[in-house]
Amino acid sequence: MSEVSANKLKPATKINDRIVRVDALQKARGEAMYVCDMTLPDMQYAYMVRSTVPRGRIKAIHLPEFPEGYHFISAGDIPANGKNELWMIAKDWRCFADGYVLYVGETIGLVVGPDRGVLKQLKAQIKVDYEEQTPAVTIDDGINCVGGPMFPEKGSNVMCELFCEKGRPMDEVFAEADEVFEETIETPYQEHVHLETNSAIATMEDGKFVFYASAQCPFYIRKSIAGLLDIPYDDIIVRQCTTGGAFGGKEHFPDVLCGALLVAENKIRKPIKMVFDREEDTQFSVKRHPSKCIYKTAVKDGKITGVWGHIYYNCGAYLASSYVVLQRGVFHGNGVYTFDNTYLKGEGIGTNTFPTCAFRGFGAPQTLFAIETHLNHLARHLGVDPLAFKMQYLCKKGDETTTNGHIIEEVKLPEMLEVVTKESDYWRKVREYKPGCGKGIGIALYNHGGAFTGNGEQAIIKAHARLVKTGEKVRIEVGSTEMGQGFKTTLRKICAATLGVNMDQIEYFNPDTAKVVDSGPTAASRSTMIVGRLVERAALEMKERWNEGDFTTEVEYEHPDGYPWDQSTFRGDAYLGYGWGVACVEVEVDKLTNEVKTTGIWSSHEIGRAIDELIVHGQINGGIIQSLGYGAMEKLENKKGYFRQKSMSDYVIPTSMDFPKQFYHIQENPYPWGPYGAKGMGELVFNGASAAYVDAVERALNTKFTAIPIPPEDIEEAIKHVH
Amino acid sequence: MEKVKCFIPETLEEALRIRKETGATILAGGSDLMVSNSMGAGITPAFRGDVMIITGLKELKGITETADTVEIGALTTSAEIAGSPIAPELLKDAASRMGAIALRNSATIGGNIANASPKGDMPQPLILMDAEVVLKSLDGERRVLVDDFIIAHKKTELRDDEIITGIVIPKPQFTHIFYRKIGMRRANAISKLTLSAAATVRDGVLADFRASSGAAGPKVARSRKAEEILIGRKLEELSACKEEFLDAWNGVISPHAMPEYRRNTTRRMLAFFIDALAAGHAPGRVDIEE
Repeated sequence: MSEVSANKLKPATKINDRIVRVDALQKARGEAMYVCDMTLPDMQYAYMVRSTVPRGRIKAIHLPEFPEGYHFISAGDIPANGKNELWMIAKDWRCFADGYVLYVGETIGLVVGPDRGVLKQLKAQIKVDYEEQTPAVTIDDGINCVGGPMFPEKGSNVMCELFCEKGRPMDEVFAEADEVFEETIETPYQEHVHLETNSAIATMEDGKFVFYASAQCPFYIRKSIAGLLDIPYDDIIVRQCTTGGAFGGKEHFPDVLCGALLVAENKIRKPIKMVFDREEDTQFSVKRHPSKCIYKTAVKDGKITGVWGHIYYNCGAYLASSYVVLQRGVFHGNGVYTFDNTYLKGEGIGTNTFPTCAFRGFGAPQTLFAIETHLNHLARHLGVDPLAFKMQYLCKKGDETTTNGHIIEEVKLPEMLEVVTKESDYWRKVREYKPGCGKGIGIALYNHGGAFTGNGEQAIIKAHARLVKTGEKVRIEVGSTEMGQGFKTTLRKICAATLGVNMDQIEYFNPDTAKVVDSGPTAASRSTMIVGRLVERAALEMKERWNEGDFTTEVEYEHPDGYPWDQSTFRGDAYLGYGWGVACVEVEVDKLTNEVKTTGIWSSHEIGRAIDELIVHGQINGGIIQSLGYGAMEKLENKKGYFRQKSMSDYVIPTSMDFPKQFYHIQENPYPWGPYGAKGMGELVFNGASAAYVDAVERALNTKFTAIPIPPEDIEEAIKHVH
Repeated sequence: MEKVKCFIPETLEEALRIRKETGATILAGGSDLMVSNSMGAGITPAFRGDVMIITGLKELKGITETADTVEIGALTTSAEIAGSPIAPELLKDAASRMGAIALRNSATIGGNIANASPKGDMPQPLILMDAEVVLKSLDGERRVLVDDFIIAHKKTELRDDEIITGIVIPKPQFTHIFYRKIGMRRANAISKLTLSAAATVRDGVLADFRASSGAAGPKVARSRKAEEILIGRKLEELSACKEEFLDAWNGVISPHAMPEYRRNTTRRMLAFFIDALAAGHAPGRVDIEE
């Protein structure tokens, strides 16, 4: 760097600097442009025409007369060489239902044209005749093949399955046990409620299909939809727009909007915009998987000798990402504990409901809630404090995992528990709050495996990152996206600190698939840990050559040696590093109304190292509140195939009035393969607070819950069964 | 789409004339009607008939008092009521818990009554306080108890040529009040259940006792017959007749969803209030968090 230019530049950004998020002002002022705000010349609009029955044969579609310039697009508009399939993990999700429907809300067609009022009227006049069939709605329906098996060739509704085992056979362990403690724990649907609803625009540019999308993974969209027209990926350009929240809801689901728009665009060749209304987004988008976890725990001489778990996830009608979600659920099915003998089986059950897909935690929150709650119940059954009971089994470095791999890092849970129990005064309160006194304190321990499971980063994603130097400026070219989690700030900070320049010299635009390299999906808490590391490596190389003028550096993911994984048997090191968490929640239950007032929240998270403490703090606050909403109040019921909650007034998420200020602690434990020692953390912070909350309410009322959420009317039911 | 007319009168007189001539739906704050007639983002709401937006009529805004009454203009917003030094406490409780801040800045008391939802926040304490709605038309003015004005879910006694212009509330003389709203969360929530209760204790005798339950049936529930079980009793007699009252009140409410929770919670809250009175609770607000 020359003396002259260096003088004009601001001082170099250091990794520990406290900085204002790069997108904060623009978003706070309402200046950020979302898909909804974009209007292209000759803009056309689209609405989805969706199935109104959960399962049935389409007998006929009656269309009204369409005025000039208005179109109905459906499966028949897919060209002969194209295939009516969206490619997520599998290719089972049809872009347009054709001949039959599998769930309420399945896309049958699009109405497209210039005036939205006219389109809504046309949509209302479209009549679809169905021959209705009996739907399978719940996990039990699916297990019992209600309405006939969804996969006749298998004679079942099982979409995906796996198991992992460790130690001795469970029947031997059960036979030797003093008792086997069995429970079934259920968790519900959850809606993402990202502030910005799903939206996308399709248009043409120089003979290529261009998409502007609110999305986490622009490269996923391209891969998923190209087969509809049988065109090369490069004929599709996806430009991510400022995305107002996603939480996993925009990992694969944008494919469903963009696929239908691609078929329409191919025919109409004008800009077409589709923006979901909130009611559409609530009822007709992917959700968190409901689960049913059956645990049988063998106890001998007051000690756990083995854990057997059968984990069912409701996948809805299509696979989407469910197999991977289920794997993560199974791999987190033992929580943060080491037991000598375990057997964990997972089954993903197909039902006639909207497909379930990614949601912050990606399968881990369900089993972590189940195992924590189960162990709490077992401890109380044995007459010991749940935390004291669980602390005997905390896993530590070198322990064999349920997949026959090993815990690679030092586990700092004891230190973290020290901080949390001290700050919350846990042990005193446990002594003073007698069971059923109306006050309670609960605690949960949890973890989250960082990045893709097993060797997925190496075998499937093969992420790249590129830096482009122009004068004193450096542009980051990756496909990773900002969706409100703060990644633009984090990544620019990593890049600047590594190069020894100021963050203002680093550019990182919303990715355009034609201009950046594929750094993998913005998912799995992998962005900082994996992509951050790639950018750090590319920046280190750039720093060495800084005086060479304008040039580019590009790096590819490298997997550390010595950590085997076999994806066919699910054996080996499922994750190279975990984030770890402790959450403690204190409550007071109103004896008149059963309303629960949360009076304290304390947490500690081990995330390797925080790249930006303000952002991490925001993630902790948000993740814990979202988890408490999941445990306490977010009720999303599906009756006969229809979601009962349809909007933000009946599907309620917490406000700032519902929960108090939180104490938070960040435990350092630098991770050798992450940038500056950082690991993933976006999902970890969601994984445990709901179990701590339920534990606290159970103690306050001296009762037991085996399902969430627990709004006051469900507490009314539970207090009949004080034990 | 049928075109509908939209009127924006500048005076009450003009509004009354338009109302008589067209029977146009009256839009006050719009917080119910703009939602129920919404066609989605970017599309003009589809009202089924003509609409008259009266939001700007100054004559219908503000809170005043006389020796015996508090009078509230129909277009007074929830936020104004919640912040008023002269509005009755129970009404302020209800107004301050209604929706979110943005909604409270636009939703009006007249609209909240006309919408006639059993979950509506303000009708519940108004019915307890024997408040009346003032209804005007070109032919004159009449006053009707809010309890009589609201007939059932979304049904009122409003005539096609009338406009609600105000609410008249007899000044409450209660010595003890109790208010609870149970929503799906602590703020910005539609009521799951609400209860107001009020008592006047004079010389050890319960001179007046009232209650009203919201979100527990097709309309706000109040029963003077049940209240009479307690009125006139000495405080020491209350525990003996409490169960009779609670049973009678339980017969008045008719919750459809979550019946057990709504019935049990109502019963616990009323029992708590009566027990507090019997125990000689100091005048003022009665609640568990003291």
